[in-house]
Amino acid sequence: MMRGILGLLLRALVVLTGTALATFTLLWNAPGDAATTIAMARFDTLLSDVVVAQVRAELGLDAGFWPAFNSWIVPLLSGDFGNSSVTGRPVWPDLVSAISYTIPTALAGLAIGLALAIPLAILATRHPGSWSDRFAVGIASLGAAIPAYWLGLLLILLFAVKLAWLPAMGARTPAHVILPALTLGLGVAAALTRIIRSGILEARRQPFLPAFRRRGVSDRDLARAHVAPHAATPVITVLGLELAFLLEGIVMVEVIFSRPGLGSFLVTAIGARDFPKVQAVVVVTALLFVVINLAIDVIYRLIDPRTGTQDA
Amino acid sequence: MRSVALLACAFVTLAVLGPVLAPYDPAAINIPARLSPPGGQWHLGTDALGRDTLSRLLHGARWSLGLAFGISLIGLLIGTCVGLAAALGGKALDWTLMRMTDSFLAFPELVAAVVIAGILGGGINSLILALSLTSWMRYARVARGVGLSLKSRGYVVQARLAGLSPIAIARWHYLSSLAPSLIVVWTGMFARAILGISALGFLGFGVQPPMSEWGAMLLDARVHMRAAPLQMIWPGIAVVLCVLAINLAGDALRDALAQKDIEE
Amino acid sequence: MLELHGVCVRYGKVDTLCDVTLCVPAGQTLAVVGESGAGKSTLIAAILGLVKLAAGQITWAGAPVHTCRPSLVMQEPRAAFNPVLPLRRSIMEPLTARAEQLSDARLAHICNRLELPIDLLDRKPGEVSIGQAQRAGILRALIAGSPLILFDEPLSALDAVTQKHTAQLIADLQDEMGFAALVVTHDLGYAAAFGDNIAVLRKGRVEEITPTHAFIQHPKSDYGEDLRQAAFALGALGYGA
Repeated sequence: MMRGILGLLLRALVVLTGTALATFTLLWNAPGDAATTIAMARFDTLLSDVVVAQVRAELGLDAGFWPAFNSWIVPLLSGDFGNSSVTGRPVWPDLVSAISYTIPTALAGLAIGLALAIPLAILATRHPGSWSDRFAVGIASLGAAIPAYWLGLLLILLFAVKLAWLPAMGARTPAHVILPALTLGLGVAAALTRIIRSGILEARRQPFLPAFRRRGVSDRDLARAHVAPHAATPVITVLGLELAFLLEGIVMVEVIFSRPGLGSFLVTAIGARDFPKVQAVVVVTALLFVVINLAIDVIYRLIDPRTGTQDA
Repeated sequence: MRSVALLACAFVTLAVLGPVLAPYDPAAINIPARLSPPGGQWHLGTDALGRDTLSRLLHGARWSLGLAFGISLIGLLIGTCVGLAAALGGKALDWTLMRMTDSFLAFPELVAAVVIAGILGGGINSLILALSLTSWMRYARVARGVGLSLKSRGYVVQARLAGLSPIAIARWHYLSSLAPSLIVVWTGMFARAILGISALGFLGFGVQPPMSEWGAMLLDARVHMRAAPLQMIWPGIAVVLCVLAINLAGDALRDALAQKDIEE
Repeated sequence: MLELHGVCVRYGKVDTLCDVTLCVPAGQTLAVVGESGAGKSTLIAAILGLVKLAAGQITWAGAPVHTCRPSLVMQEPRAAFNPVLPLRRSIMEPLTARAEQLSDARLAHICNRLELPIDLLDRKPGEVSIGQAQRAGILRALIAGSPLILFDEPLSALDAVTQKHTAQLIADLQDEMGFAALVVTHDLGYAAAFGDNIAVLRKGRVEEITPTHAFIQHPKSDYGEDLRQAAFALGALGYGA
């Protein structure tokens, strides 16, 4: 068991290193002269070669690939994300403030998604194949086909423009979180409904259930003791995927609603070619992902002795 | 199944014939007619520069469907090669390739595509690169999984004993068994590519103006949300219908293949 | 001559084969019998080089066994062929791999001996009977031309009449072509009818190797005697007679 978990840790470490290296390679090979772009972004005018050279030296861009990679990764290991190449201020405090905006949006979105998906899935599985099942699956399929940014725009159009019930742009009041969270939540619900539905159907097919039923165990008790735990397993599995979905949604939603947060932080940084910020977002996201997937793997091995006997 | 197939065919026809069917030049600017409502001369209205929205949508189908088709095929090719190499190439290669796949998956695909396309500076080439680089991993996992399960099948063992080269074995015995699973993954990735292209277009990192791409059309229309809300509705409907049709086709295909498995 | 000398195969900490020593001369058949889990399949995998040996060596005519390119006839006849390809493609694989040709006359002759209509080879595995598929499997082993053919429960998927017929075909072809055969089976009746010698395998070890006629009279090991009694009880020993 311990060996298996150590193996997973080693794997996570390799994956993180790979992601860091891939990101750095991409940025290093970005078209255009980075020093010129940054100097332009910083001073907002066309500049003399002297200033550009100064910026280049300051950012360590004149050294080769590996020295530059080292001068980024070594401080990073002690938690130093470096300074913004545009403002010169440390990246970390800005990143923390962005994350503090994103977390409530994400949690609210996830909560709305679960609150919609679980009843919808239960409705669908009450009578598989019936109109209620088809309705639920249809809604879920439609939801999966609607891109988050369009859904967000439609919600703005309806609730902010036509009805003027809710604020849309920015993050001044708590009410500003409603529309972004709803946008995220509807998308999450669409994806989760199908997974929970097939989880329940799968769990009901367990061969020992009819035997229990014949012995007089009530449907309610069966659902609680045997169907629900079994149906939860695939949901745990897709938690990692769900997180990916949330993050993708957040990038779009924050841009649409002009809301501060990790996503708009990333898009702004890309636009300004503020590479230290881009790198910081990539590293933090990858770390989050790897840690959560690692946790899921470890929990799995603790719960289910069948996993881990073969390399998945 | 049949209705889904018909719907999918209709979209392909639209994408191919779009430029022919379009009533106007999608790039013809007509300022006096800007933001016209639908009806009359302009079936779906006009955008902020007075360009005919229907024509732009029809031309846009080529970008969305054509590019998505190409991108999902590139992903299929890369992913299948990586997955088969991992399954057939021995433990060390398997470990390396799968950790590489994990590294690419350690980040939401669309976000990764945004970063890559944004850093490379927008345009069609960086869009293709960004979406292809972030869409091969699922194929690789499926190909490896099926590949590993095939390794102990009787006919693969026989081919190995016969001394057939690994490439010949992959070609003759693995691809035929892989094809059904890969096609199902492919339909999903095709739909994702359509969403990805329009998302990048919407963020301004994708197909650049004046070419009419659905995501970029949304970006334009967003500014005039109050004056001409319908301009924002049409491109979205186009994306949703395409993605829905492809996803349903994929579901039907998966069910049909599962049925075939049962019958065998 | 196939020779195994002190062969050990280990999965994790368990020895699935332990100190196995045996030989099969050209033109002869060694029947390996034993219960499920005795290590019969591992023995075949070891000879084919599909598993690593923890100790010992396997040779054909003094050279490492892979030099003689042993062939295998499998337990599940249809699974041995790619379901989407015509049988002919799979059957020809050993030859295509070596870029060799087979004369039509030779193919027709072997097909004839196996009672396989030659146009059957253009069908897919799902379109022929199990018995035909198994004979196609034997055909593949034969045209590969290897002097050593391994049979892994070759009859267990067939019905009783086809079993007897197929067993007789294999024996006749062996007389004609002179290959060495190692047959793994749990059917002592078949082993007794067609094996020149019988090896009893139990928990990865060879309990005894005895000429068939002697085994039927009097097995050397207690476990061999148990097997013989069990077969008598079922009336299975009387196969080829």
